[in-house]
Amino acid sequence: MKTPTLALAAAMAALGMAADAGQPMNDLQIAHTAYTAGGLDIRYAHLALAISENDAVRDFAQTMIRDHSAVNDAAGRLIAELNVTPEDNDLSRALVDGAAAKRAELMALTGNAFDCAYAANELGYHQIVNQTVAETFIPAVTVAPLKALLEDALVTFRAHEAHAERMVGGLECAG
Amino acid sequence: MRRLTPQLSRRRFGQGLGASLALPPLPRAARAHDDPHVVIVRMSRFAFVPATVEIRPGDEVIWVNDDLVPHTATAREGDWETDTLEAGASGRIAFADRGTFAYVCAFHPHMTGTVAVRSG
Repeated sequence: MKTPTLALAAAMAALGMAADAGQPMNDLQIAHTAYTAGGLDIRYAHLALAISENDAVRDFAQTMIRDHSAVNDAAGRLIAELNVTPEDNDLSRALVDGAAAKRAELMALTGNAFDCAYAANELGYHQIVNQTVAETFIPAVTVAPLKALLEDALVTFRAHEAHAERMVGGLECAG
Repeated sequence: MRRLTPQLSRRRFGQGLGASLALPPLPRAARAHDDPHVVIVRMSRFAFVPATVEIRPGDEVIWVNDDLVPHTATAREGDWETDTLEAGASGRIAFADRGTFAYVCAFHPHMTGTVAVRSG
């Protein structure tokens, strides 16, 4: 069965280069999607804090809230400075839908089952998002400050991916 | 009670702790000399740069956060830590005693560094 994370990967692959019928995503759509992705990870983190009793998982979740909030705050400042409005788009909507499905799946879990599912999702989510940011968004962006912000954000997201990998490795999960 | 970050004592070496400082232009020294000296460590791309600094008793280390996200410099032994340093902020600690002090970022523990306080 295709899990929401795999569905998300498929959506990112299909839509990353074409938010609308074969058109590359523009700067405002990329900004919207990057901001959305950060916000969704914050929501996952709040769910983890509500359910998990595992210190490593909770520490990771706190870090996701702290870091993604900081990155999104920086994005918000840049958007205000540039006086532009990010554009909702198919990829942002696919991310939101995929995350809603994943949250529903996670909310049905408790204990170690939740921790393992959350950790695996965080690893997969950051892998997919990082690949998209590195290979699709950054090369496509035309506004220098937005490109610079995405490059800085990618450093953060890659650190999260490595952190998620350690979190997964530290849990005792089946399969 | 759950802890969000490692619980650390607030005892600090010296009296020079601060955060969000307006930094004067200071040299990027890695080694102190005759007078009390200040060494700057950048928090950059999720690493402490330089990762190891060598100072004398009474010298200070200033950590400057160049990343987008908050960091700390937190002693592994729990003896000292900076405040949470937001992007662009800095924190200062004076080291009165000799020793080799390993530290991490409390939020990103893979970030590691060492302050070596030596005489002479």
